[in-house]
Amino acid sequence: MKKFLIKVNGSQYEVEVEEVGKGSLNIDDINQASSFSSAPVAPTARSAASAPKASAPAKSAEIPKDAQTITAPMPGVILGVNVAAGASVKKGDVLLILEAMKMENEIVSPSDGTIASVNVAKGASVNAGDVLVAIS
Amino acid sequence: MANVDKINQLKQKREKVELGGGIEAIEKQHKAGKKTARERIDILLDKGSFVETDVFFETRSIDFGMQNKKVPGDGVVTGYGTIDGRPVYVAAQDFTVIGGTLGEAQAKKIVKVMDMSMKTGCPFISINDSGGARIHEGINALSGYGDIFLRNTLASGVIPQISLVMGPCAGGACYSPAITDFIFMVEEKGQMYITGNQVVKAVTGEDVSLEELGGASVHSSVSGVAHFKYPSEETCVKDLKRLLSFLPDNNISGAPSYSCNDDLNRFAEDMIDLIPDEPNKPYDMLDIITRVVDNGDFFEIHKYFAQNIIVGFARINGKTIGIVANQPKVMAGSLDINSSDKAARFVRFCDAFNIPLVTFTDVPAFLPGVGQEHNGIIRHGAKLLYAFAEATVPKINVIVRKAYGGAYIAMNSKTLGADLVYAWPTAEIAVMGADGAANIIFRKEIAQAEDPIATRQEKIEEYKEKFSNPYSASARGFVDDVINPAATRPMIANALEMLASKRENRPSKKHGNIPL
Repeated sequence: MKKFLIKVNGSQYEVEVEEVGKGSLNIDDINQASSFSSAPVAPTARSAASAPKASAPAKSAEIPKDAQTITAPMPGVILGVNVAAGASVKKGDVLLILEAMKMENEIVSPSDGTIASVNVAKGASVNAGDVLVAIS
Repeated sequence: MANVDKINQLKQKREKVELGGGIEAIEKQHKAGKKTARERIDILLDKGSFVETDVFFETRSIDFGMQNKKVPGDGVVTGYGTIDGRPVYVAAQDFTVIGGTLGEAQAKKIVKVMDMSMKTGCPFISINDSGGARIHEGINALSGYGDIFLRNTLASGVIPQISLVMGPCAGGACYSPAITDFIFMVEEKGQMYITGNQVVKAVTGEDVSLEELGGASVHSSVSGVAHFKYPSEETCVKDLKRLLSFLPDNNISGAPSYSCNDDLNRFAEDMIDLIPDEPNKPYDMLDIITRVVDNGDFFEIHKYFAQNIIVGFARINGKTIGIVANQPKVMAGSLDINSSDKAARFVRFCDAFNIPLVTFTDVPAFLPGVGQEHNGIIRHGAKLLYAFAEATVPKINVIVRKAYGGAYIAMNSKTLGADLVYAWPTAEIAVMGADGAANIIFRKEIAQAEDPIATRQEKIEEYKEKFSNPYSASARGFVDDVINPAATRPMIANALEMLASKRENRPSKKHGNIPL
């Protein structure tokens, strides 16, 4: 762990950094990290750096208003995503495969429509109720 | 007045009653896309079979100007007639009369036909289209509901009671359909809610439309209050008649049987192809059900609610059976709170009306999760176990694939009292899946092995070989026979015929205490 002293808006923070292999921490990450943490005690830079990385994909797939959301019926892992935003689907088309209860559960489209957003990726772990896909 | 004139007077009075709230009110009803009470009775009952009761009954209330508002018939059309030749009693609320609101007289009329239906052992059908209690009549209106709920409860399990919600059904009025056996709703027209959206908004701040709060879609898929939903009154009535064709008139008569032109010995050669070789791939249980029953005719109930379990009526050899089956396509076919409730109620209806139960099992477990536990999966799952154990009708179980743990017991297992249990060669009957079991039983061996991952895999295969099949269960008598899937129909038909004369007792008691 490397230690740094960082001054943000006049306040000084002691930050420990561990390189996790995806390139070293740079100033941009720290700036982004400070804007996420509202508490005066900044989290360790590593978790702060990873926070924007992890939440960015979820934030970019916004769920459009008036779109019908398809949620996970139970907790599991996404084995595969068969559609992308913009794809047109028919009722009964398989949108994703969710692995749960040792079964490959097919998440099918409840109606005809267009995929407004895909909110998960292959390999993602989901909880019951998490939005998987939005259809308009 | 000369006697002849009295006939004319009767005619005029009759015509006035038949107009309900008047021509304008009827037009308003039609504009709203709804039929009048009499029009509904007309499409429901066989032509010319309707005999009306309490035609001129009117309210005696005089508070708040009721004596000027009152209308003979008091906003409900009651009586009896036939559906496909079988007698039924019907009460249809008339929205054109004071908004169909329930007053003392309306309640008395409804109670009268309910009492008659119980005395004669005929199904009772109620058509709901009402603004609720008639406030002007105060407690008299409210107690009218109480009288109706009492009859619904006394009649429960004596005669089939079916509710059609074709208009508003608000507040306490919902409890009458809630006690009945089946609820049909018409989309966009019928709504059920205890508290309307305006009061909900004032109290909780939630802002929803009546349709979003308690429309047909919501109740048939989210709350499970309604068993059926239809786009129109005609399609609704059509399926009501179809449902009735499976049901007996009462709890002694037995369901009507029809001639069967579907060979009882029909082998379904493609049955084995329906199950994927990989145990983690789903298939549609409906494909199996339709291959077994007469002419593939399966009448599904509660189709959009708790879709991880399938319930409904079908026939074998022309006789009604009740089917309960896990649906591997949805939530891996696991049992959870809603599916346990859905199936338990259906099982108890079948038992009350002497309809044999046939189950198709492919269940991996009860759904795990904090949500399930905190919402009482223990209480709800127990209902299903209770329902199957309590039932004394013929009970036949076909284990198609997975049958693990408590969920296996809950699905009409031998020890709960199933008369015959058949398993397919693809069945996996065990305490739990091989992966989980190997982890527990061979924990030490795996931990101490040189290559834990390989050892674990080896142990899983060992467990699968030994236990994830139907033979160890058969060896202990929990399965009567392992059968060729193609032979499922003939085996079930044979079993049903043999079990037709089944009589079983239960310890005498006032009634049990099913977990609720």
